[in-house]
Amino acid sequence: MQDTPSNTPRERIAKLSRALDRIVDRRIKVMEVCGTHTVSIFRQGLRSLLPASLELVSGPGCPVCVTDQAEIDAAVSLARMEGITVATYGDMIKVPGSGTSLLEERSRGMDVRVVTSADQALSLARNCRDRTVVLIAVGFETTAPATASVILDARSEGLENFLVLDLHKSVPPALKALASDPLVKLDAFLLPGHVSVITGLTPYRFLPEEHGIACAVAGFEAEEIMIGLLETARQVKTGRLAVASLYSRAVRPEGNPAARAVIEKVFTYADAPWRGLGIIPSSGYVIREEFAQFDALKRLDIPLSAVPPPEGCLCGEVLRGLIEPPSCPLFGCECTPNHPVGPCMVSTEGSCAAFLKFHQGGDNPWED
Amino acid sequence: MCLAIPHRIISFIGSNRAIALAGAVETEIRTDLVPDAAVDDVVIVHAGFAIEKLRQEDGAELEKIWKEVTELAGYPE
Amino acid sequence: MGGLTIGHGAGGRLTEELISLILDRFRKTPLADREDCALLPGGLAVTIDGYTVSPLSFQGGDIGKLSVCGSANDLAVRGARPLFLALGVIAEEGFPLEDLLVYMESASLICDSMDIALVTGDSKVVPRGQADELFLTTCAIGKIEREPVLGVDNLKHGDSILVTCPPGMHGAAIAAARYGLKVHGLASDCAPLWPMVEKVLPLKGLRCMRDCTRGGLGTVLCEWAEASGLGIEIEEEKVPRDEPSLSVCELLGFDPLHMAGEGCAAVAVSAEDAEKAVAILRQHPSGEMASIIGKVTEKHPRLVGIHTISGGTRLVDKPVGELLPRIC
Repeated sequence: MQDTPSNTPRERIAKLSRALDRIVDRRIKVMEVCGTHTVSIFRQGLRSLLPASLELVSGPGCPVCVTDQAEIDAAVSLARMEGITVATYGDMIKVPGSGTSLLEERSRGMDVRVVTSADQALSLARNCRDRTVVLIAVGFETTAPATASVILDARSEGLENFLVLDLHKSVPPALKALASDPLVKLDAFLLPGHVSVITGLTPYRFLPEEHGIACAVAGFEAEEIMIGLLETARQVKTGRLAVASLYSRAVRPEGNPAARAVIEKVFTYADAPWRGLGIIPSSGYVIREEFAQFDALKRLDIPLSAVPPPEGCLCGEVLRGLIEPPSCPLFGCECTPNHPVGPCMVSTEGSCAAFLKFHQGGDNPWED
Repeated sequence: MCLAIPHRIISFIGSNRAIALAGAVETEIRTDLVPDAAVDDVVIVHAGFAIEKLRQEDGAELEKIWKEVTELAGYPE
Repeated sequence: MGGLTIGHGAGGRLTEELISLILDRFRKTPLADREDCALLPGGLAVTIDGYTVSPLSFQGGDIGKLSVCGSANDLAVRGARPLFLALGVIAEEGFPLEDLLVYMESASLICDSMDIALVTGDSKVVPRGQADELFLTTCAIGKIEREPVLGVDNLKHGDSILVTCPPGMHGAAIAAARYGLKVHGLASDCAPLWPMVEKVLPLKGLRCMRDCTRGGLGTVLCEWAEASGLGIEIEEEKVPRDEPSLSVCELLGFDPLHMAGEGCAAVAVSAEDAEKAVAILRQHPSGEMASIIGKVTEKHPRLVGIHTISGGTRLVDKPVGELLPRIC
C-alpha cells in the first residue's frame, strides 16, 4: 500500500487497533506460538494497542524454552568432554542446566563457539580435524532443514569429526497437545510465519476442523501481526473458522517441498519431551539410523536422565498460556536474566525475559 | 538465533551458496532449500540457510485482506 | 559470593551492583557521585577508564583512539575541557611492537586535535597467555568550564532529551567484527565530543549530558530517570538512524538502544533551549544528525517509555548481563 500522509504505518495500525476494539465483543484468548512474534509484539508495544477483552498469551514458540532440562544437561556435558568443540546458536549458550550453562563452561575455558549458521559448524569441523565438533541443533521446522543439509554434506564429504546433538522439535503436534488440553481453552492461534514457510498450511487444518480454533498465519511486522489478530477475531465473531494465511508473500499453501524432503531424508519422528508440556507424541525429530554416525547421542557417552524442573518453576504454565510471567513466584526474584531458573527467562524470545525486559516486571503504565 | 531476515542475493558461489545482502550486511548463505533462487531474489534466511523466496507484495491482495478484516468493524475503506 | 561474570563488566545493572560493592569498602565522599567523571575542589575534573576492546582495530578506529576519546568524553559531558592524560599500557609478551606504536600514534592524533598533553604513564609486559594482546588504561584530567555544574539533579519536568548521533554505532561495528560480518558503510562513531559539546555549554537551559557507552542510550536514560526520580518518554521515530548499524542489530537480534556509542552523547536541556541546542550541535560533523528525541516528565516516575513506530508504547530498561563482551 502506498504511504500517503494520512496512510502511514502508524495510522494503519491505529485503524486496525480500532477495528479490533469494535470486533472483539467478548473475551477471546489468542495464543501466539512463535518466538519472533513474542519479541515483535513486545518490542513494538503492541499490547498497548489491543482491547482488554483480547487476551494474547505467549505459547511455546521459542525452541530454547521448550528444550527439556535433561537435553540442556546433555549439551552442557558435551562441553566438558575432552576433544569436543561445541557449536551452538547464541540463545542456547546461557540456558542453565541442572548445574552450569554452556556460557559458564566457556568461561571456564571449555571450547564453546557461537555460530549463526549450521554451515559454520560444518566449517569448524573441516578446519579442526583434531577436534570433534558437535552442533547443538535446537529449533523447529525452520532450522531442522539446515541441520539435515549439513548432515548430508558431512556424509558426502566423509567427515568423521562432525556430530549433531539433535534437539529439533515439530510444532504441529505441540499445537495438537495444546488444543486438546482442557485447561488451555483457546479461541485462536496466531500461527508462526516461518515454521509455516516450511510446513505449509495443511498441518494446521485440524485446529479449526476438529477443535474449533481460529487460525491465522501472520508475518512479523507490527502491521502484519495486527492484521493477523484481526483475522482471528473476525473468524471467532463470524464462526467461519479456517487457517488463514496473511503472510502469503512468504508462505506457500503447500510449504517448501525441498525443505521438507531434506527433513524427511535425515530425520524421523519420535515422542519427545517438551519442557512444561510433558511428552508430546511424534513431536521430536530424531536422526535416522542410516545417519547414526552423526548422532552425538549414539556416538558419545552422554548421560540423558529425566530431570525434574527446579522447584517453584512455572515455565510449563507460562508456556501453556495459563499464567502470565509475573504470576510465577520466582519471576523477577530468584529467576531473572542474570540468574535464570528456567528457559523462559533465558532466551530473549522467552515469554518471561520479554515480559521483564519490556515491562520491568510490573504493570506497564501505558497498557490498559 | 531464530531471527529470519530478508536477504537479497547478489551472486552465487557454486551451486548452493550465495553472497547476499541483509540491509547493509553482506553474508554467505546456503541456497539448497530454495533451488530456483536467482540473483536479485529476496529470500528469508534462517540459521544461514535461505528457506523461501519472498515474493513481491501483491498490493491488490493486501488491499483485499484489509477490506475483509475491517469491513466487519464498519469501516468504509 | 561467586565469581565475576562477563555481565559484571557489561555496563548495565550487574556493573552497577559491582560498583556499589566496591565503593562500600571505601570512605564515603560526596565527590564520588557516580557520574562519568568526578569534579574536584579547585575546578578540576578527573576520570579513568580501562580499554579491553577486541578486536584492537575496527572500522572507524582502534584501541588507541578509543582510549583517548573514551576518557576525554567522560570529562567533556560534564563540561570539563580535557587537558592532561595519564596512560597505562599492559601488553602480552610477544605483542608486536609495531602494532603498539600504531595504536599510540592513533592516540596521539586525538590528543593533538584537542591539545591534550600526555604527562605520565606506565607500561607493563606480562607473560604470554596472561593478558589478551593489549589493555590500555587512561586517566584524563580537565578543567571545569561550566558553572553551575551539569548533573542529573538539574533535570526538570518538561525538559527535552536530545541525542547527538544515531545510537549504538560502535557496538554494531564491534559486533560485526566479532561475528565476521562484512557490512557496507559501517563504522564506529568513535570521536572526541569536546569540540562539539563545548559550544552548547553556554546555554542556560543545559541540564546534563552523558556519553552513551556500555549499555547504550537506553542505560543512560534509565539512569537519569532513576537518579532524578522523574520519568522519560522518547519517540522511536525521532531517534536518528544509521542503516548499516541497524542492519547488524537486526541480524544479530540486538537492540540499538542497548549498544555502545563512543562519540554519541545524550543531552538534557530545557524545552526553551532545545532547538538552539540542536542547531549548535548540528554545526559540528559529529552532530549532523543531532535530534530532539523525547522529554522528561513527572508521569511514571523512574521509568523510561518509548512510543514505538507502530504507535504502541513500552518500557525501556537496561540490558542485563552480557550483550557483547569487550566492546570498549
